[in-house]
Formats: sequence, C-alpha cells, structure tokens
Amino acid sequence: MSNIIVDAMGAQCPIPVVKATKALNELKEAAVVEVHVDNEVAVQNLTRLAQGKSLEVKSEKVEEAHFVVSINATGEAVAVEENIACIPDQRGNTVVVISSDRMGEGNDELGKVLMKGFIYAVSQLEKLPKTILFYNGGATIPVEGSVSLEDLKSMEAQGVEILTCGTCLDYYNLKEKLAVGNVTNMYTIVETMNNASSIIKP
Amino acid sequence: MREKTLKKVITFNSTTDAIAFEKYCHDKEIPGRLIPVPREISASCGICWAVPVEDAPTVEKSIEDDGIVCAGVYELML
Repeated sequence: MSNIIVDAMGAQCPIPVVKATKALNELKEAAVVEVHVDNEVAVQNLTRLAQGKSLEVKSEKVEEAHFVVSINATGEAVAVEENIACIPDQRGNTVVVISSDRMGEGNDELGKVLMKGFIYAVSQLEKLPKTILFYNGGATIPVEGSVSLEDLKSMEAQGVEILTCGTCLDYYNLKEKLAVGNVTNMYTIVETMNNASSIIKP
Repeated sequence: MREKTLKKVITFNSTTDAIAFEKYCHDKEIPGRLIPVPREISASCGICWAVPVEDAPTVEKSIEDDGIVCAGVYELML
C-alpha cells in the first residue's frame, strides 16, 4: 500500500480539508493519505472528515506546530461536500483524571480492558477534554508499549493537553518511557483541577 | 492566604529516596514534612523535605552524621 503525502502546512480551514478530499478522490487504489498540518483545529477537521466517510484515521504531533493526520483510504471516491464546515476549536473545559491503570474496582483484568475502552471513548467525544491528567497507577498508561498510546497521540494532535505526574513516573522508573504529552507537578495538577468546569474520573 | 515563612527545602535524586527520608525522619523524630517540589526550585516534579529554618540545623546535622545523599538544599518563603 502506498503513502500519499499532502502538504497543508500553513493552511487554515477549509484548505487542509479541501486538499485532503482532492487527494482521496485522486486515488486509484487503497492508500494511506498523510496530511501534514500546523494547527490542532486542522487535525480536528481532518479527523471529522475521515470519520464522516467511515475511514480509519489517526493523528500524531510530530513536533511543535507540525501534525500528521493519516487517513486509511479505500481508493473509492468520496463525496465532496459543498459546504465544508470549519468548525472552531472543539475542546471543552473538561479535565479527565486517570489515577489508575484500571477502571473501577473488582476484577483487575476487566479493569484494564475497561480503561483501554474508556480512553478510546474519550478520543471519540464530539467535544474533547481540555486536559487529561495521569497520576499514580495512571502514570503507567502514557508510556511506550501502552495499548492506549495511539488514542492519546491522536488526542494530543487535536490539542488535548496530556500531563503526567513526574513524581509518579520517577517512582515507577518510567521517566524515560513517557511517550506522549508532558511531565507535570503537583501544583499544576491541583490548578488544572481547580480551573476545570468539570472533572471526569473513571 | 496563609502567611509564608522562610523554609529550608531539601531535594533528593528520586521519589524513592524522598519517601525513605520521610520514614527516617519520623523514626528519629526529625522535624519537617514532605511536600511537592516548589516551582521556584524545579518546574518538573518530585517531592522534597521542607522544614522551618529554625529547625533546619537538626535536619542538616542528621544528614551529615548519617551520610544521607541529597540533590540540593534551598532556602525560600513557603
């Protein structure tokens, strides 16, 4: 399967969506269309475009102001919408707090499966959270090899702030393994929670 | 807001070292408490031992006597 690269760096909505739609329609066979953009809102709009066409999509923040949205295209022509909606930033002021690698109490194996599903479901929200905080057992999730890494990277690319407790990473010897977002401290954790309009804690 | 006073802050190389130091201080009834590392010292993270300056000599003497390894010692208003 080939990779088609679409450069939409520096372009504001609707240009990235228009360019991506054009690339999708020019495909003769199944391919991965990689759209490079420089802002989170473009990532959100491209993700919505792909999801609207039932195409698999993932995104990643490569560096500051450089995001890659990979759309797994089937090669079939996609309908071009007449009015491409430029929806403004889709982030709310909700904070998700993940304090364990398991969701709920009871069976541990089930708890891990539930947590994986929870993070996936958060990434599918119409209105993404502003921040996701990880601490204690939760700090073992945003690291290399984690089953939730792809979902977290995709949210980060859409502008969700991913913050992990540094004290916890240090305690679990995972400081070098952090694979998404940034390290934070107790003061920022408390302020983030205090400023949230609502907090979701699975 | 609570009035700030001058504190001596001792940092460690790891979270585990800081937790071990808390236990050591409790056992020996050394004054002070564990707090998250203040932003003035490090933007990143960690926990450290904070003690009012007037109690600091007791702590510093124990550290020296028992050869405890610290990352740094600071004085600031907390």
